[in-house]
Amino acid sequence: MSAASAPAPTAGRAPAAAPAAAPAVNLTPVFVRLKLSLIRNGLKGSSKRKAAYFTSLALSLAVACLAMLGLAVLHGNAHAGTVVVLLAAILALGWTFMPLFFPSGDETLDPSRLVMLPLRPRPLVRALLASSLVGIGPLFTLCLAVGSVVAVARGAAGIAAAVVAVPLLVLGCVALARSVATANVRLLSSRKGRDLAVLSGLVIAVGAQLANFASQRLFQAGGLARLEPAEAVVRWLPPASAVGMVDSASEGAYGVAAGQLAVTVLALALLLWFWERSLTSLMVTPDGSTIAAAGPAGKRESAGGTGAWGFLPAGRTGAVMQRTLRYVVRDPKTKSAWVTALAVGVIVPVFNALQGTGSLYLACFGAGMLGIQMYNQFGQDTSAFWMVAQTISTPRDAFEELRARAYALALVTVPYTVVLTTVTGLLVHDWSGYPAALGVALALLGSMLCTGALASARFPYSIPTDGAFKNVAPGQAGLAWAGIFGGMLASALICSPVIALTIFLNVTDQQSLTWIVLPLGAAWGTFAAWAGLRIAAPRVARTLPEILVAVSKG
Amino acid sequence: MPDQAVATGGADGRDGARSAPSTRRAAVRVEGLWKRFGEQVAVAGIDLELPAGQFIGLVGPNGAGKTTTLSMVTGLLRPDMGRVLVAGHDVWSDPVEVKSRIGVLPEGLRLFERLSGRELLGYMGRLRGLPGEETDKRATQLLDVLDLAGSQHKLVVDYSTGMRKKIGLAAALLHNPEVLFLDEPFEGVDPVSAQTIRGVLERYTASGATVVFSSHVMELVESLCDWVAVMAAGRIRAAGPLADVRGDAPSLQAAFLELVGAGGRDAGDSLDWLGGQAAR
Repeated sequence: MSAASAPAPTAGRAPAAAPAAAPAVNLTPVFVRLKLSLIRNGLKGSSKRKAAYFTSLALSLAVACLAMLGLAVLHGNAHAGTVVVLLAAILALGWTFMPLFFPSGDETLDPSRLVMLPLRPRPLVRALLASSLVGIGPLFTLCLAVGSVVAVARGAAGIAAAVVAVPLLVLGCVALARSVATANVRLLSSRKGRDLAVLSGLVIAVGAQLANFASQRLFQAGGLARLEPAEAVVRWLPPASAVGMVDSASEGAYGVAAGQLAVTVLALALLLWFWERSLTSLMVTPDGSTIAAAGPAGKRESAGGTGAWGFLPAGRTGAVMQRTLRYVVRDPKTKSAWVTALAVGVIVPVFNALQGTGSLYLACFGAGMLGIQMYNQFGQDTSAFWMVAQTISTPRDAFEELRARAYALALVTVPYTVVLTTVTGLLVHDWSGYPAALGVALALLGSMLCTGALASARFPYSIPTDGAFKNVAPGQAGLAWAGIFGGMLASALICSPVIALTIFLNVTDQQSLTWIVLPLGAAWGTFAAWAGLRIAAPRVARTLPEILVAVSKG
Repeated sequence: MPDQAVATGGADGRDGARSAPSTRRAAVRVEGLWKRFGEQVAVAGIDLELPAGQFIGLVGPNGAGKTTTLSMVTGLLRPDMGRVLVAGHDVWSDPVEVKSRIGVLPEGLRLFERLSGRELLGYMGRLRGLPGEETDKRATQLLDVLDLAGSQHKLVVDYSTGMRKKIGLAAALLHNPEVLFLDEPFEGVDPVSAQTIRGVLERYTASGATVVFSSHVMELVESLCDWVAVMAAGRIRAAGPLADVRGDAPSLQAAFLELVGAGGRDAGDSLDWLGGQAAR
């Protein structure tokens, strides 16, 4: 490392020394102290925040200690190497993507705050890296790293490797997070970055489902041995290769261990070099906001009414459908809800089918998930609902508005349900039940549209646009739950005749007649949706100002 | 309760060349309008008659009840009491007649921000029942006149404050309303955009339409309006042609401060430590 450090920015330590002539002050303790003060000051004044911080600290420490112990218990297990190498890889992956989904968590992370200070990149990178090691996250990672190496370290060589591996793994994770965040700082400080943060809810919702099924499958299908091929590759991928090195050294494969050490160190050096470069370029280029303002007008989109949109009906119906579908793609909250519904709707029937516990009727799950999107239609508009309210004068206008929104939902959901039922049918090889399953799904969708329209009119509530997990404005949670759960129960009741018919035909062994559920279910669903819209419309037209007030909070 | 100085209608003011406003029908009639939020009375019984074909300013300090009044007049907020007539039609019992006649640009409410400027206009026009082609034609012209053609394909969420006000104004004008209600249309707007907005509004009123806008910038109101209503603490303190409301005061600002009872307030001696000559 070159010694060409910056002039000291902190004159406070060396009284009256001329700043330009000051000796190269070590930035690292300054930044570590800065980080500690930021944490301390962040907790000042608010007892709620203090409680939240210490609770999360205690919880993560407890989880970390348990995980550490759990890993240590694995010592001597045949699969210990596989587990800890993959765990290290998952940890590194988490660190890589965390800054993208949870920006603004660390103020020292934001280089734009440092841009006016006379700092050189290399000492700055060192100092930032050191300050990044302060916090709950790194502590948690440290515990897991210690547990991991304890699980695999054997013999003197193993222990020596373990002592090197722990800091390498933690440093690797932290450096990954910081360099990814720095490379994307322009994105993270822009509107697109905030959109991305909102989408993190989606990643977690879908990720949890996938992890759930993956773990079930793993334990059913002969356990960890199946993961070994993946582990053979991952143990060479830094920073998981640090843990791989400990395993190799413990087994006496010193050549392999040396190779893994080299890969880990080289990757860390490359990462730091990359971080330093992006930091330097960031500090000498204008930030995103200026660029956006100075640049030419954005991309050309096709003008309204052209292309596929041309197939939509004219007037309010087409315009509202178009706007609804555009919001599914462009509004992060709406997109997150839709993609979660679409993904979970696929995961449940398909993964159950793959595990051999599938049923065609699970395909209804997708229709139900998407049907929930009909709830709180006006809350999804936020306070922009005034634009709609200004154009609704009669119950007929309100009916057309709601019907167009239901059409937009059906335009996606009906084909989706057909495809999903078909795929599930393929997987479970059950074609006799196919028409009935599809019929029940369509009846359920229609019932959800019906109750969704009623709930939208009766229980509107605000959806805050910021934050991935805030989906209800403070004080309206009861309203939201009442609407959704009451609505779902009511939907089940409304489509119960179709369900009862299906059960009756199956129980009385009249399989040849189950096809009748398809047309009946479709007709029942259509009728239910129409009736719901009809009943909801006058109320919407009558209570426009009240709905506007309800959806404008937060 | 009723106000001391409700000068409804408006006697023939400074502008003799204009057709006498008093002979025209009222664009908006407000009768006994009340609104209370919990303990706080936001609007305490307003009676107003706004003449048609004029540039009307609703002025008042922050918290005077301007936004609440405009929201109730435009049907966005339900009053506790009172009646509002636009072009002779009741806002609450006859929304079909009223909503097609008015254009609104509220303050503090969002637009559909994930649409581009052009898409937003296309959407609003179709919701208003305009034919698609006509909507697109008008949108193009409005985008041109309001200097938004260059950013018509940008999402509204990425617009600046001035651009938002302009696209909101375009959306409010699209269906050629008789009366346009604008809540703080110049707030946070740069001078260039403000001039553009002003030009469009002046052209619009010259054709006989009515503009009602709220503001707390007196110079602006003085230079733009023919007719003003001064609001404070939920009541109308004065209303009438600009010259009448200004009276003998040197400026509308001075008249306004007197009306709302802030004229005599002075920073006075309480900050005697402040300034270069004072003791440190």
